[in-house]
Amino acid sequence: MQQSQRMGLIVAAVALVIGGFLVARGSSTDPQTTAAGSPSATAVAPQETTTAAPPASGSIATETVTAPTPVTTTPKPATPAAPVVLVRGGKPSGGVKKLSFKGGDEIRFSVSSDVADEVHVHGYDLMKDVKAGGTVSFAFKGDIEGVFEVELEGAGVQIASLKVAQ
Amino acid sequence: MTSRRVGVAAVATGLATATPALVGPAVASAHGIVGREDLPIPRWLFAWAATVVLVVSFVGLATLWPKPRLEGPGVSVEGRRVVVLPRLPLEVLFGAFGVIAFAGTVYAGLAGTQTGQANLTPTLVFVAFWVGVPVLSLLFGDVFAAISPWRAVGRVTGAAVRRFSGEATPEPLPYPAWLGRWPAAAGILIFAWVELAYPDRDDPSQLAVMMLLYAAVQLLGMSLYGVKTWTERADAFGVVFNLYSRIVPWYWEGGTLRRRPLLGGLPSLEILPGTVGLLVVMIGTTSFDGFSAGPIWSSLAPDLQARFIDLGLNQEHALQAAATVGVLGAVLLIGGLYRLGVAGVQSVGGKLSATELAGRFAHTLVPISLAYVIAHYVSLLLYNGQKIISVSPLGAGFLLTDPLGDGSRLFGSANASIDYGIITPNGIAYVQVAALVLGHIAGLVLAHDRALVLYAKARQATRSQYWMLAVMVGFTSLGLWLLSAQNS
Repeated sequence: MQQSQRMGLIVAAVALVIGGFLVARGSSTDPQTTAAGSPSATAVAPQETTTAAPPASGSIATETVTAPTPVTTTPKPATPAAPVVLVRGGKPSGGVKKLSFKGGDEIRFSVSSDVADEVHVHGYDLMKDVKAGGTVSFAFKGDIEGVFEVELEGAGVQIASLKVAQ
Repeated sequence: MTSRRVGVAAVATGLATATPALVGPAVASAHGIVGREDLPIPRWLFAWAATVVLVVSFVGLATLWPKPRLEGPGVSVEGRRVVVLPRLPLEVLFGAFGVIAFAGTVYAGLAGTQTGQANLTPTLVFVAFWVGVPVLSLLFGDVFAAISPWRAVGRVTGAAVRRFSGEATPEPLPYPAWLGRWPAAAGILIFAWVELAYPDRDDPSQLAVMMLLYAAVQLLGMSLYGVKTWTERADAFGVVFNLYSRIVPWYWEGGTLRRRPLLGGLPSLEILPGTVGLLVVMIGTTSFDGFSAGPIWSSLAPDLQARFIDLGLNQEHALQAAATVGVLGAVLLIGGLYRLGVAGVQSVGGKLSATELAGRFAHTLVPISLAYVIAHYVSLLLYNGQKIISVSPLGAGFLLTDPLGDGSRLFGSANASIDYGIITPNGIAYVQVAALVLGHIAGLVLAHDRALVLYAKARQATRSQYWMLAVMVGFTSLGLWLLSAQNS
């Protein structure tokens, strides 16, 4: 192959790379990938009603909670309801719960469990005991990005996956 | 965030939660000991990497050199000397370091706290050793040959025996030719299985016992077949780390550092049975590490687990069995992909059988295997490695200073928390993608060079390379996909 041919090929390749990139990037609105890849700014709302209410009740102060012992926390207006990870029979109800937060935001969620264990938030390395039938709440600043495991430490069972991304 | 994205995300979340999980939890942490995964690589970076890989591949095919450069007649990879260091003191120094590190790690595992995160052993094994040593090999050459504790003990013992028994020293047994590097492949498979499927992977005392068992097997093998032969063929870590060190453009010959061409150490790799198996195990198990964090596996795993529970296993053992199936499945998949490519190469003609051809191209998988390791574990090394060597302030990490988790301060006090600010998530993504793309190019170059040696006609060589190209694009695309949003 001639030197000039070789150069021509390389120039063509560079053009192709840029073209290919533009085409590939253009498809970034592809719904499936956006759903998986986009950072979602809001915490995933709890999907199921719980008897033990999470500490963050909504902006409505007179929210009716059927729980026998309503947790008394100062209601913070404008804070969305914190998601609840339900543990039933030592397993996450409905599979490993996906929690998603924006980096730098306050991360709030709670774990309601029917078994006694210790809840471990990996990466942030937070540990809190939960009693059988009890609820523990977590609130911390999301200053480490990544996808972290939330685990029942004693049983070694993952109950939630915590995603913190920009 | 656009409203459309919110909508899509909401739908996706709804679907995810609506899917009933019959059995419950998916496999807990991959990555051995740490419940953290990297964020998916940004979409634009994925696009760049994928197109660069494809285009570079085809341009490479057309413009790479027409005569072999790394091997064959008239090619010398004998390098000139760079530096000569005193051999014996260095060997003693590094060997002693290896033995002390090994003994200390085993002791910490047995005597220290049995909480995985507070004990030195799990982090040292899965982070410093398994990820740190490959990276060091890529920088400094075959460091593990110097620090390998069993090699050091084996050599000292051998020298002592020769000294005292004189002429009566028995010759090592001939190493069976068919065995090749299969013991190394088996060793890596067992190690990876412990890391990815074994529930007590971070149990310090169990790890310590496994370390002792492994060392015992190595010493036994060395006493039977000789230290050199065993290290080059059967010691899983000795073989793998040596393969990685063959990428760098310098190598050690005793105390002499020599230069050679980049990748120059790989074509001279002795073709032995089991080499393909070893590299396929490396790539397959690393792939499973990425795959097991993704949505496909987390929907597949509970079903698998349920089957094993039906067979009479308890919850934990069923989970372990499911992960075992996953690990083996990934290895078979990677092996199948490679054999498919080799079958294609064979179709262009030549006298070699498929198995012989597979062996001839085995060394091309080395850079790809290392690229997978770096792509999957770089954040583990940079973040959790800080527990061994702290970066801010620079010094001993808190596990090194308190290896037993009993509050001791062997090397002064150390910050117990990891500084996640040393590299941004984007920085990690750049390293991951760069590793995969460079590994891809290195694999292509090696395959091209080998094809020129194997085939007399340039045209035949080129045609054979369409197939190898397909294999490499397959591996690299899989690697990128495992890091991408589709797998998170």
